[in-house]
Amino acid sequence: MPEALRKFTPIMFLALIVLVAITLLSLTSSITTPIVEKRIQQQVVDQMKGMFPDVVEWNEDDGLYTLFADEGKTDFLGYAFLATGSGYSSSGINILVGLEDAQTVKEIVILSQSETPGIGTRAMEPAFLDQFIGLNINDVNFIKNGGQIDGITGATISSSAIVNAVRDTAMKKVAQLEGAE
Amino acid sequence: MTSFIKEFSKGIVTSNPIFVLALGLCPALAVSDRLEKAVWMSLGVLFVLLCSNIIISAIRKYVPNIMRIPVFIVIIATFVTIISLVFEAFVPAIFDALGIYLSLIVVNCIILGRAEAFASKNSVKDSIADALGITAGFAVALIIISLIREILGTGGLAWGDTAIFTLPVLGDHPLTVLALNPGAFLVIGLLLALFRWVGVTKNE
Amino acid sequence: MSDLIAIFLGMALINNFILVQFLGLCPFFGVSKKLGNAVSMGLAVTFVMVIASIVTWIITRYVLIPFDVLYMSTVIFILVIASLVQIIEMFIMRTNYALYSAFGIYLALITTNCAVLGVTLINNIQKSYSFPESMAAALGGGIGFTLVLAIMSGIRERLELADTPKSMKGLPVAFMVGMLLALAFSGFGGII
Repeated sequence: MPEALRKFTPIMFLALIVLVAITLLSLTSSITTPIVEKRIQQQVVDQMKGMFPDVVEWNEDDGLYTLFADEGKTDFLGYAFLATGSGYSSSGINILVGLEDAQTVKEIVILSQSETPGIGTRAMEPAFLDQFIGLNINDVNFIKNGGQIDGITGATISSSAIVNAVRDTAMKKVAQLEGAE
Repeated sequence: MTSFIKEFSKGIVTSNPIFVLALGLCPALAVSDRLEKAVWMSLGVLFVLLCSNIIISAIRKYVPNIMRIPVFIVIIATFVTIISLVFEAFVPAIFDALGIYLSLIVVNCIILGRAEAFASKNSVKDSIADALGITAGFAVALIIISLIREILGTGGLAWGDTAIFTLPVLGDHPLTVLALNPGAFLVIGLLLALFRWVGVTKNE
Repeated sequence: MSDLIAIFLGMALINNFILVQFLGLCPFFGVSKKLGNAVSMGLAVTFVMVIASIVTWIITRYVLIPFDVLYMSTVIFILVIASLVQIIEMFIMRTNYALYSAFGIYLALITTNCAVLGVTLINNIQKSYSFPESMAAALGGGIGFTLVLAIMSGIRERLELADTPKSMKGLPVAFMVGMLLALAFSGFGGII
């Protein structure tokens, strides 16, 4: 082997390994990605049906679901969207938010979380989550910050993660609605 | 066959990665608050260590010496990504609970350490035994720690959403601090001291 | 601006890399008794964290997201960190030998420091931070890391003189110190 070529062998070897790695990874991801997407879709739809039992049809636009009670999409029911809060644990809290109209919260549901058992999880209990029902989105804030929600002592991080995620995402989605009209 | 058994048993007792070598401590502290997380984390480590040990020992004669570490890192990172994609697709709750610690298997000293110290010098068969033994040692350690932390810290034991059992008094007033981060330091520190005290491992 | 301060303090004190996220434990337990060495190690890690966050942010924003290959992040980030550490080491060795002799040995250890890969994964994948937010997180994480290493080096010195039970000497008692520090730092939980 010529001297110049020999110098490049180590680099070529690494490049070959990287190439094999990329091929393997894109193969795996092409198998797993559809499964993950389908599951998330299904989860959102299931929870949405629990929140709005009358729902029959919906439109989806960039994560914002507009729900209708009939197949012709004329009988408007409400909106639903996902919000993600960054709490104490590393993977975040996924929340499904339902709105009655562009101003009022219908209900919020925690889809997945891994907060500290016994402490952060106290912010996942109905006593806290039910406070959101019927609130104007502008009032989704702690009382000390001018809103209408009672915080939880000892679960500050998890509860404020939920409050902030719901409020901020709701504001964004409402702005998206107004932009579309 | 004897060398296979020797390599395997060595990982569990005399060179237990957590209790003796004190390697790979990050996951031992971070994912040991629940038994379920500890078990799945061990499975993840098993897959990555087994696959990377096999591949590395199979190609050990062809790897240019100066590219050794980067090649090992790429191989390990590939298997880590594969296992996290698989976890995300099939056990999503676990994937969420493990968070970045699943990806961080890449920089776990145990894996790169075994690649460099063992798989790059030994046959495929011995490397498999080494991977199985080291993982078994890691899993045993993680399961002991997580059992103590979950039972005392939450007052019971749960798998997924089903509770296996709940202790009478502790169930109502668990020692929550053990499930939190200071508890991780406390439980592992006491276990290390206990193993030294009874003579399983040597004093410094 | 207040968001950036919140992220900075959150990473430095509340979600401290060593005490809460358990990343970078090897240097924590292995840290020398000399305060100067501990601070040097911490600053070297902070420096690599910031540079790695800049580079990985650019890669995520302009390569991984447009090509929809976010799953490649672990492989790419670890390669980036490994090459960055090499380049920084070579650069410092050629330009400032005094600095190299102070920081050099720590640099080599940083590739496998989980805190560096951790901060790039948190910034880009988990939280999808904007560029200024990434910088605040990297700086905060690094400063918090340095702070805890410095505290530990001081305690180490006193531990040498303390009359510890034989089985507790070394690592076990270091874990106890870790527990006390973690308890103390949990007091920061309410500041944001």
